[in-house]
Amino acid sequence: MKKLGIYIHVPFCLKRCNYCGFYSNAMTDATGAREAQTHYVQWLIGKIREKGEEFRKKYLVDTIFIGGGTPTILQPEAIEAIMGAIRENFAVESDAEITIESNPKTLTPQKLKRYRATGINRLSIGAQSMDDDILKYLGRAHDRADFLETYEMARKCGFDNINVDLMFAIPGQTKAQWQDTVEQVIMQDPEHISFYSLQIEEDTPFYNDYIDGRLVPLDDGLDRDMYHWAIGRLKSAGYTHYEISNAAKPGYECRHNLKYWSFDEYLGIGDSASSFMNGIRTTEKPREEYHENDFDDNAGEFVFTGLRKRQGISKREFAERFGREFWDVYEGRRARVQEFFDSGALLEEGDRLWLSEDGIDISNQIMAMFV
Amino acid sequence: MKQKYIRNFSIIAHIDHGKSTLADRIIENTGLVAHRDMKEQYLDNMDLERERGITIKLQTTRLVYKAKDGNEYIFNLIDTPGHVDFNYEVSRSLAACEGAVLVVDCTQGVEAQTMGNVYLAMDEDLEILPCLNKIDLASARPDETKKEIEDMIGIDAEDAPLVSAKEGIGIDGLLEKIVQVIPPPSGDENGKLKALIFDSIYDNYKGVVIYVRVFGGSVKVGDMIRLMATKKVYEVTEVGVMAPGHVPSKYLSAGDVGYICASIKEVKDARVGDTVTLDDDPTDQAMPGYKKIQSMVYCGIYPAEGEKYEPVKDALEKLQVNDAAFLFEPETSTALGFGFRCGFLGLLHMEIIVERLEREFNLSVVTTSPSVVYKVVLNDGTIKMIQNPTNLPDPAEIDHIEEPIVKADIMIPKDYVGTIMELCQKRRGKMLSMDYITTERVDLHYEMPLNEVIYDFFDALKSKTKGYGSLDYEFIRYENSNLVKLDVLLNKELVDAFSMIVHESEAYNRGRFVCEKLKEIIPMHQFEVPVQAAVGQKVIARETVKAYRKDVIAKCYGGDISRKKKLLEKQKEGKKRMRQFGKVEVPQEAFTAVLKYDDNK
Repeated sequence: MKKLGIYIHVPFCLKRCNYCGFYSNAMTDATGAREAQTHYVQWLIGKIREKGEEFRKKYLVDTIFIGGGTPTILQPEAIEAIMGAIRENFAVESDAEITIESNPKTLTPQKLKRYRATGINRLSIGAQSMDDDILKYLGRAHDRADFLETYEMARKCGFDNINVDLMFAIPGQTKAQWQDTVEQVIMQDPEHISFYSLQIEEDTPFYNDYIDGRLVPLDDGLDRDMYHWAIGRLKSAGYTHYEISNAAKPGYECRHNLKYWSFDEYLGIGDSASSFMNGIRTTEKPREEYHENDFDDNAGEFVFTGLRKRQGISKREFAERFGREFWDVYEGRRARVQEFFDSGALLEEGDRLWLSEDGIDISNQIMAMFV
Repeated sequence: MKQKYIRNFSIIAHIDHGKSTLADRIIENTGLVAHRDMKEQYLDNMDLERERGITIKLQTTRLVYKAKDGNEYIFNLIDTPGHVDFNYEVSRSLAACEGAVLVVDCTQGVEAQTMGNVYLAMDEDLEILPCLNKIDLASARPDETKKEIEDMIGIDAEDAPLVSAKEGIGIDGLLEKIVQVIPPPSGDENGKLKALIFDSIYDNYKGVVIYVRVFGGSVKVGDMIRLMATKKVYEVTEVGVMAPGHVPSKYLSAGDVGYICASIKEVKDARVGDTVTLDDDPTDQAMPGYKKIQSMVYCGIYPAEGEKYEPVKDALEKLQVNDAAFLFEPETSTALGFGFRCGFLGLLHMEIIVERLEREFNLSVVTTSPSVVYKVVLNDGTIKMIQNPTNLPDPAEIDHIEEPIVKADIMIPKDYVGTIMELCQKRRGKMLSMDYITTERVDLHYEMPLNEVIYDFFDALKSKTKGYGSLDYEFIRYENSNLVKLDVLLNKELVDAFSMIVHESEAYNRGRFVCEKLKEIIPMHQFEVPVQAAVGQKVIARETVKAYRKDVIAKCYGGDISRKKKLLEKQKEGKKRMRQFGKVEVPQEAFTAVLKYDDNK
């Protein structure tokens, strides 16, 4: 049976962060919020049932990712209901990786224990920084102490696979501040660390500030310095850098996210959730999208997402999936790609094609050769 | 006497004042073209003309009007091009008429170009019939406009017909006025043949079709005609009238407007302004006012990356067949390879040709900085006319350089006088005088180097006057000037396509502007790209396009893949439109961007 990753979108947050472009609604009014959430979860469960009827016979679910938004602001009953609905309507592998995204300040021991009881075995914590001033600037609802408390709580409640999300290249941030954040998180010894260079997304407060000149992006040189330093430091602390912005202890790479970079199928359920099923990319309302991939789409996506992984892509797999040899397809681009082989940004050996660490910095123009 | 029932006239107006729409209504109301066959703006028949709302190629139409006096009149409506670049063509069209309908948009009033055309009409001694358009609009101010016409032009506007071409209001009144006011043609039908060429087009089957106004004698099929300026002789194969398609007739005689076909191969052999006469019984005197066409602005046109040379050449040849004012010859550029040096009447003419290459011929081309023609006097006294900055001789050999000076008439609302005087000052203008046309409108008279006018003066004028300013200019003389060649170096290598000749006092500003613009437009490379502007060996401005440090998508999860792929595709497309100079990639639009007026600079 084919494997499937399920993504559940929960579009609610305590408040919107200044940089975030994901689809979500800030919940300020407690009563109204509770109602909207209950309503949404009921609708979600209906959707899960619907999708289950369509796919349960053909797929075995091996990863589940409950993301958002901040799914942990939901009542524990809601998460239990969602997990129950998935198990009822899909065949879920016994050792499936089941992640829930969270923000500090939204968790309690009781919530965490009940999550564990539903089979959720991986917790992702949006820490972003260990510097309270920076957290404030980002518009986060928590501070450093909240994170440490949440982290300790999660360990106590039995989470032995924890990811910590971090952000760098924040306007005004110094390299020392970034180093301090990384060191403090390494000290906590999470299984997985994601580290993102701040991206200015459209329709966010940061974007408006940027357009009006109030936000001056960090110098690219410093950005890259922070990035490469982090890769080195994480490696020395026993982490494997396995994707552009992700590192994990061996065996703890996020299996769900790897599907996105490995041309695997995934089913998104919920507002604005995206799916890739049977060669069709769709996104639910309100950011609706529908696209049937053709050969060029498939080949381009396989290569560009695959090159995000440090191990890169397998040309044999390419040929198996698409029925044509890799370099036959890209013969016409070879001369221009050569420039990147020459500078050592792109590497090829045996079956594999991958980016060097320096190549990552200019990965867009390399990937653009293959789309 | 058939002449009594002929009226030959033009419509003159400023762009946007509704000339073409009015022509449509006149055609419609005389019943010649059925309403359902009318495309909007019948006379503007090039797509580009209709889109830009201007007339480039002339269209002439013969109409029949049954007047209130019971007689049928033949109206020959001779269209005129509507832009300052085409002044000569306008003057020849006017010379073919006895009168002109002056259309003034009475929400706008009289503008500089209206005046330009009025003077041209007055030079030809035409009877001018003013007519106020857009009378249906709430902002119409007919009384003020009448007063403006009387004050500025000195003609009686009291009885000027009030029309709305768009709504078809007042057209009958205008047609009656045309009969009453515009005089019929005169001239001896039995005299010697004397006909003025006011336009010519190329027809695939008939060869060149020349449009003429016959001033004396007559012409028929089989006659041997002589074109007096080119001194060439041809046998007439067809004559006829434009109704508006070609309708053959037995002959054309004094007072008539019509066409002649005589197996002429190229439009340049039948020049506008030339006189047609009979070879065996020629008239003594040609029509006055013939001028050889003079290209005022030159630029290089090169096939863009991925485009071939031959199709561009074929397209230019095809355009030239129909446009005697457009010149081209092959040239080469170290930066751009094989291409063409092209001559135009003005910047608009140049833009139109480039746009036609792109649209009608689906070609992608690169244009180099436009240049005027400089008169370079060498130490040994020889004179060289230079229209390509790259060909400027070594400064050591040059005694001095002269540049063309034009007289510019700029008409603006009075609130902008300060701003525009400052602009003209910056463009090395010398103010001659300033007239108050009305209490609100001012006519500024300047002498300015043409070089300053062609780059972006018109855009700047429009921008600084919120679109109300208008400009008219004509060449007056060459003048000694302190000019230097400004070069652009990318990654230390000279890119000749960017070279331009500028006044020494402007070199620094221009150099800095070009460097800043290129820095914005040239994408980052894997290495740093210095962008330099230099005069001779001296670098006067410098910018650096930084090397790529970061060109990476940090987050790419399930919902990002389609969007990020589009981003990468866009990046790839961008690369395709690049032109390679050494190791530096330059987007096509860079060549025009360095010329464009920028409000912020």
